[in-house]
Amino acid sequence: MTALPEWLRPGARPEGSLPRRPAAHRLLRRTLGAMGRSMALLVRGPDGPDAGALRAADPRAKLLAAAGLIVVATLLRGLLPLAACLVLALAMSVAAKVPGRRLLPVVVAVPLASAALMLPAALNVVSGGSPLLILWRPAGGSLGPWRLPEVVAVTGDGLLVAGRMVLRTTACAALALLLAATTRPQRLLGALRSLGVPQAFVMVLAMAERYLAVLLQSAQELHLARLSRSVAPIGVRREEAWAAAGVGAMFRRTRSLADAVTLAMVSRGFTGEVRLLRPARWRGRDWLLVAAAAAVAAALLILDRRSA
Amino acid sequence: MSGSTGETVFSVEGVRFAYPGQPPCLDGVSFEVRRGERLALVGANGSGKSTLLHLLDGLYFPSEGRVAYLGSPLTEDALESAPFGPRFRQEVGFLFQSSDAQLFCPTVEDELAFGPLLMGWTQDEVLRRIEDTLGLFEISRLRLRSPAGLSAGEKKRVALASLLVLAPSVLLLDEPTAGLDPRSQSLLLEILEALHARGLTLVTATHDLTLLPHLADRVRVLSEEHRLVADGEPEHVLADTDLLLAVNLIHAHSHRHGRLVHSHPHQHVVAHEHGHEHDE
Repeated sequence: MTALPEWLRPGARPEGSLPRRPAAHRLLRRTLGAMGRSMALLVRGPDGPDAGALRAADPRAKLLAAAGLIVVATLLRGLLPLAACLVLALAMSVAAKVPGRRLLPVVVAVPLASAALMLPAALNVVSGGSPLLILWRPAGGSLGPWRLPEVVAVTGDGLLVAGRMVLRTTACAALALLLAATTRPQRLLGALRSLGVPQAFVMVLAMAERYLAVLLQSAQELHLARLSRSVAPIGVRREEAWAAAGVGAMFRRTRSLADAVTLAMVSRGFTGEVRLLRPARWRGRDWLLVAAAAAVAAALLILDRRSA
Repeated sequence: MSGSTGETVFSVEGVRFAYPGQPPCLDGVSFEVRRGERLALVGANGSGKSTLLHLLDGLYFPSEGRVAYLGSPLTEDALESAPFGPRFRQEVGFLFQSSDAQLFCPTVEDELAFGPLLMGWTQDEVLRRIEDTLGLFEISRLRLRSPAGLSAGEKKRVALASLLVLAPSVLLLDEPTAGLDPRSQSLLLEILEALHARGLTLVTATHDLTLLPHLADRVRVLSEEHRLVADGEPEHVLADTDLLLAVNLIHAHSHRHGRLVHSHPHQHVVAHEHGHEHDE
């Protein structure tokens, strides 16, 4: 029989060595879980069969229309045209029967996240303008080498800048979701390739689409494995060291997975070109889709010019 | 049952191979694989079995020695030239140990279509083969599912189906039953048996000796020093306890009979039963 060390007995531990409080990882666990679910939703492609005009349209037409409208959305400056663009994208998503659980992140999470990022832009210290709501009165003076303003306040100009960015981000996200939720990923990649996007770029996207979810799952497993052995808080420095080691481990896994996938593809005859089982066929209605998108884009630009 | 014919499919001559910055994981390996043969490469973890399969599939190339397929050297130049390269990829299928690495398409259907489309076959032919292959593996219901969401057994079936749809004449199998439940394992072995009966050449890397009676007519044993140390029929190799102990395929196992602690060579293998004859 294997001779075990004397101390290796159930529950044996040195005197007084029990941690006072357990380790807390709820935030990281929930964040990783949420990222995994979001990624799965993002890369899943359409729910259900390819029924309906938008789902059945040629992916190249959809890609051109969506890309054109996204470019226009980034050029719009007025709140009204941006809001119109967002409403149009959401209305089309509803018409294309994109499920509510996929739309929800776009209508809730994206505006909230971009609003949080744009919060400083609403202040007079960033965007200037006359104060609408005074938050703080430092009354001049200085903080170390920095001179403080008389007041820190939310301004009308600042709100306009922040609101414009929130609407623009949400509209672009809604248009991107509309494209992703009505087109299978492989078809989208095929469309990119046939529109002249370089093969290496398309391959990187294909790999990312397939393996982001796998890698996120790996990150979750790594975290859970660590969690199962964490009995007490370890302090910020060691947490940082662990996080850095975790990133390193993920990088190694990513590289090893990428190598294995490449070999598996080469083994089955891959020489660098994506081929589709059912190549898309460009039909008359696809011209209609592109023309309609162009007309909407022009109308939005005209509306933006007039409202400026 | 189909047996091996005289034709040499693979010849491996004095092959040495080392991953960059690491010691050799194959050291002077030579052997041949004949048409219709069922060959098992067995050895402990790290003995070089998987690497050897990668060399046979033209994915790695030896630092010394030579690997040839049907008499033609397997080199990068040869594999990148037509018609040899595409023909080799169609004729030789490689079932990777990790199904996650092997299944990279968004749906099971796309996975099966990947190889045939690259071969330039017509859409009708590809669809017909997909239909038949899905039926053979009883996975038609998975056709539009993402491989990422399948169970280990389903992934393995899809991975093998994605090779068979090309109608290969040689299958290289890396630990094919690893991680499978008994039903999935049994189905896989039945399919491999049927494929062998059709004349396919099967080369399997494994350290699971229980598979040998099902998967091999001939066994080649790799030592932990990365050399081939034995070659024979499964029953002879399985009966050679000293050899199996030396290459770390079985181990000295201790257990208790009443108050007596007793040791003997052991692996959980059907063909390697042992008796207990001792005095109290």
